[in-house]
Amino acid sequence: MSVTGSDELARILAAEHPALAPALDGVARRSLLKAMAASLALAGLPGCDWRPDDDAMPYVNTPENVQPGRAKWYASAVTLNGIAQPILGKTYTGRPVKLEGNPDHPLTRGAGDVFLQAALLGLYDPERSQAPRHLGRPASWAAFDAAMQANARALDQVQGEGFRLLTGAVTSPTLARQIGDLTRRWPKARWHVLEPTREDQRIAAAQLIFGKSLDLHFQLDQAETIVSFDDDLLGPGPRQGVQARLWAERRRAFQAGQGGSRLLVAEPTPSLTGIRADRRLVASPRAVADLVQALALSLGIHDAPAPTLSATAQEWLGAVSRELSEKRGRSLVSVGPWYPPEVQALGLLINEKIGAFSKTLRLIAPIQALPPDDRSFAALVADMEAGRVNTLAVLDANPVYAAPADLVVRAAMDKVPLRLHAGLYHDETAALCHWNLPLEHDLETWSDARALDGTVSLLQPLVRPFYSVRSRHTLLGNFAGGSPEARTVVQDTWRQTWGSDFDARWRDALYSGFIAGSAEPFVTPTVTNRTVIAPPRPLSQALTLAIRPDPTLWDGRFATNAWLQELPKPITKVTWENVIAVSPALAEANGWKNGDQLRLSLEQRAIQGTAWIVPGQERDTVAVTCGYGRDLESGAGQGGYNAFALTATQEPWHRSGIALQAIGDSETVATTEPVHAMDGFDFVRRVAAPGASVAKESKAESFYPERKPDSPAWGMSIDLDLCIGCNACVTACDAENNVPMVGKDLVAHGRSMHWLRVDHYAEDPDEEPSFAFQPVPCMHCEQAPCEMGCPVNATVHSSDGLNLQVYNRCIGTRTCSAYCPYKVRRFNWFDFTGNDPEPIRAMRNPDVTVRQRGVMEKCTYCVQRIRAARITADIETRDVRDGEVVTACQQACPTQAIVFGNILDPQAAVTQRKANARDYALLEEANTKPRTTYLARIEPLDPVERGEG
Amino acid sequence: MSAPSPENYAVVTREVDTIPIAYPHPVIWAICFGAALVLFTLFLIGVGATFRYGIGMWGNDIPVGWGIAISNYIWFLGIGHAGTLISALLLLTGTSRRNALSRFAEAMTLFAVICAGLYPLIHLGRPWLFYWMAPYPNSMTIEPQFRSPLAWDFFAVLTYLTVSALFWYIGIIPDLAAVRDRARKRWQQVFYGLLSLGWRGSARHWARWDEAYRLTAVIAIPLVVSVHSEISLLFAAGPIPGWTSTVFPPYFVLGAAFSGFAVVSMISVILRHALKLGDLVTERHLDLLGKLLLATGLMTAYGYWSEVFDTLYGGDSQELATLHDRIAGEYAWSYWGALIANFVPLQLLWWKRFRVNPWSLFLIGLAVAIGMWLERYMLLVVTLYRDYLVSSWGHYHPSVWEWMIFVGMIGVFLAPFLLFVRFLPVISAFEVKAAIFKGEEPRHA
Repeated sequence: MSVTGSDELARILAAEHPALAPALDGVARRSLLKAMAASLALAGLPGCDWRPDDDAMPYVNTPENVQPGRAKWYASAVTLNGIAQPILGKTYTGRPVKLEGNPDHPLTRGAGDVFLQAALLGLYDPERSQAPRHLGRPASWAAFDAAMQANARALDQVQGEGFRLLTGAVTSPTLARQIGDLTRRWPKARWHVLEPTREDQRIAAAQLIFGKSLDLHFQLDQAETIVSFDDDLLGPGPRQGVQARLWAERRRAFQAGQGGSRLLVAEPTPSLTGIRADRRLVASPRAVADLVQALALSLGIHDAPAPTLSATAQEWLGAVSRELSEKRGRSLVSVGPWYPPEVQALGLLINEKIGAFSKTLRLIAPIQALPPDDRSFAALVADMEAGRVNTLAVLDANPVYAAPADLVVRAAMDKVPLRLHAGLYHDETAALCHWNLPLEHDLETWSDARALDGTVSLLQPLVRPFYSVRSRHTLLGNFAGGSPEARTVVQDTWRQTWGSDFDARWRDALYSGFIAGSAEPFVTPTVTNRTVIAPPRPLSQALTLAIRPDPTLWDGRFATNAWLQELPKPITKVTWENVIAVSPALAEANGWKNGDQLRLSLEQRAIQGTAWIVPGQERDTVAVTCGYGRDLESGAGQGGYNAFALTATQEPWHRSGIALQAIGDSETVATTEPVHAMDGFDFVRRVAAPGASVAKESKAESFYPERKPDSPAWGMSIDLDLCIGCNACVTACDAENNVPMVGKDLVAHGRSMHWLRVDHYAEDPDEEPSFAFQPVPCMHCEQAPCEMGCPVNATVHSSDGLNLQVYNRCIGTRTCSAYCPYKVRRFNWFDFTGNDPEPIRAMRNPDVTVRQRGVMEKCTYCVQRIRAARITADIETRDVRDGEVVTACQQACPTQAIVFGNILDPQAAVTQRKANARDYALLEEANTKPRTTYLARIEPLDPVERGEG
Repeated sequence: MSAPSPENYAVVTREVDTIPIAYPHPVIWAICFGAALVLFTLFLIGVGATFRYGIGMWGNDIPVGWGIAISNYIWFLGIGHAGTLISALLLLTGTSRRNALSRFAEAMTLFAVICAGLYPLIHLGRPWLFYWMAPYPNSMTIEPQFRSPLAWDFFAVLTYLTVSALFWYIGIIPDLAAVRDRARKRWQQVFYGLLSLGWRGSARHWARWDEAYRLTAVIAIPLVVSVHSEISLLFAAGPIPGWTSTVFPPYFVLGAAFSGFAVVSMISVILRHALKLGDLVTERHLDLLGKLLLATGLMTAYGYWSEVFDTLYGGDSQELATLHDRIAGEYAWSYWGALIANFVPLQLLWWKRFRVNPWSLFLIGLAVAIGMWLERYMLLVVTLYRDYLVSSWGHYHPSVWEWMIFVGMIGVFLAPFLLFVRFLPVISAFEVKAAIFKGEEPRHA
């Protein structure tokens, strides 16, 4: 339904812009867009202003003047589901070029994820909305302001009756205050929230047994035994950075012999948590719920009839019970947010029983601001359909794309006379709205947001907006007819809180990036209701559909972000689309192969997607992810299918009664790793106990003279026991090193350019494979075959042990790549950078050369960071200190699996890592003497397997 | 053409040296040359597109960063081996039976080496900087990296090209003079006059010429061995399972001679038929070629066998995996294709009647040429598409541009070769005559 075709539109148009109305008669939106294209192109970049905001506070050591070539760091935050991910942003002459987690933040301590890293590209994204539009035509902010003032006056008359605000999840105290002010001014106005991947059912579970909303805080650093019922504790999302960091702390203590670190997981489809598990049980979503119930029963929480469990499930549950009783007070049970509130509530009661409360599981008041009563999105749609909504203001939400399919949003939208859309992109919702109002990106706006523990981060602009955009605070004020300035609004919030101390505290908060001491205090929960029994489940034996957020596009908001589109999914290593994950058994029974096109139908709806066989997936579970199948005006993000079309308000994550059939078509899938078996080799080695050593090969002889390393001798150690395969290192590397993205076709062709890849292995048997991740950067071999092969000295060894690639010497024989046993070298098959749009050029790291067509490139150990540290050290006439050089991948790793430093310094962290008995070199037999080495995975045998059970 | 009189050297001269002046089948030649030019144009288009947009036009990827450009390079260079081998080796051993074959075999060498030499240049990511492979004085004071097999490739191919060009040219001078003497048209007189460098056939000329010719031959012989040994290091120096083997240098040299003899056989049969040279390129020559083909083929087969034996005896799991990929992997067709095309038809050459029959010799030669192409392809692609790390396995399918360049490269070979056939004496007439005089060459009854 096009905007221009509606009668309401004609009415509004005639009322507000009489001059325009006749011209629009019979004009389809498409032709309007065509007409707009030229003017939009012109309205793009001439308005750029790269100067930093005068009032923003640099993080440390303000230089006396702006020195070109010297980076300034600003503390700020980006948000995911409204939750702050604290960052330090590196800027050169006002251009942000790299984001890193804020190491001083009390909760995250610098941990981040792929979304944090990729937010930088989101800022420069050429696909962003760049100027306001009215009815699809470029419009001025003045016209918008005038229209809003008139609308506000009308609403004032009726106490805001008919005004509805729809937002994503809100943790911003300022936005919450503004919304509060608005609803006080217009008591009849309503605020609704739609956050497609919000943990609604988890909140409901807490409500069920505590009688109030509480947020769960998993203290994974305290939990020696973690039992996850399909909860992706280490998986993507706003919790990933923090939880991975806490888990890694526990794991490191375990490696040092202090306490245990056991992870037992039951799940239908492999997750990062399941892959890291010591014992992984493959169970359907139904069986997972049964397991929770059975565990609760065995702990005497309820006396409902026992569910029937398979033999393997019973055995797994036996191990779980044993471990939980051994580790009372040091164990934790978590139930995935995908499960009905009753099942999750049982999980909370189990935690109470095993003494987890206030130890491994802490609770805080919710950090999200929530509408007071039932202001769900479903209620909004009902009101819209009933004609009770006059003005719909959508602020950073995309209901048309992401709403559950049982809500008929499009039709309901048509019944709203005035529809406003404020967002970063001209998305599906924008196409149905009268006003499209471009939002400021987190990195160019003033705002605030809360981290998981409630600590408030101030968002300060790293750069002045270079498009004609407004902040969400300004826009919210605009909706009410005002025109507040974003920084003033945010300052007002904190002036009210802080009173007279404002100026100093404001400056402190900008310096550090967060407001110290603003975390929510832990509450000691009182269980008010213990009579929770999981609801009866359908007895259908048919396929179950598991819908999950996408590990790289999340809920679709990152669909235009090439770094995330081309980031291989952690487990399937598929890029540029989402697949329909099926189990090997199901695929075999139906004769499906990877790439076959399947039609997945549920009730009256169907999607078409690509089959992908995932070892370790439960036989009758089909897994899909959200975030793809976008319908953006620019055509970006079209790969894959939209899984939201299969969701329902009451059953957002698991559906039964699906039908799946091949449509007899097959397509090429762009995967960076076609084969996941280790094929009997020992690329990833495993040991049975923390102190055990890996089998070493005897020292091989070499023709070449031993190279005597000079100090510093740079080396890297990657602990495979800590790696969770989250990909943060890969995206950080892309950002730091100007790694070009090449698109789906070239990835499918084996030409992806990532300098760092995370190999994923799944060993037989298919049903219960043994998994592992292995990040593979350049090994910086001491006896590098590539150096021997290059005829023109384009790849040479430096005195500090780096295997250098000299781009302007390279003539592109590709011998180095042919000789590389690790295949870490990447070739510029085409000119991948020459046609980059202007904003992407502005984003590039000026410390790293942009590579020309026809040259080879690869991981440099972030040589630019090494050289910068050495220059500083030289000026101060000292050696480079341990920890002074932090590579981009190392910095981004939430579990600190990567350590880098001088291997000749006996005190250095990397030297101590390499002295570990678990240290081994990949492909030791190739005798390349790599500087990057690995620590073997620790996979202790189960007590039962040890024969002690 | 009348049957040659045994006593009349003029017949030989007429048969050979009048071809350039009054070519017997100008129309057929023009058609062939036109076809070669079409192929040559395809070459230009393919190379043009590659230079314009980059190597990405090809099917190469990571892990298979080299493709048919490199396998063709080795294949063409291998073909180029036969000419020099036949001429120089037989010259030095005083075997005059080479005479009828040597000239066009040498020409074939020259053009095949040119084709081979073009490939590594086209295949560069930045071909305009190819001269960085050469040790020339430069302001960067950087020399080539001498540990690299590619640096030595550059020298090897260049040297080989120079020496084979010299050898071929020195050999042709007396015949050019003979053509010059029979030329009627002015441009022919000037053209051949300049090329024959004032040759008058004096005893002193002959003495100097003989010295120079033999000296060049002495230089050429070790090159035959060294060039392809060197090329084999392109593979053998890489620490990649399937490549890193000491058997490669002899294996490559023998394979090169094998493929070269195959192509010489094919060309002999064609020229013999097209230019009606049956009296000069006799069954004895075909028999000789057949024997050489069989001998080098069996030696190459030994190379195959010893490679498999090495792998099985060594027992390295990565090497075994590569062997498995060769025999049963995605590109097994190239292994079995090479094995069958190289060695199965070859066995017919144990019988003389297959050796002296032009058609069977031609077809066997063709099979070997194809088989050796498959072998080069197999050695390259099967090794790279699955090396050490399973996670980096990939595929390789040559793109239409690579095929275009390959087909076009045949045009690059044929066009000058046809010019040679048309304008230069294809057989060493004076040597044949000398042999007749000495009674070594049979007198054509």
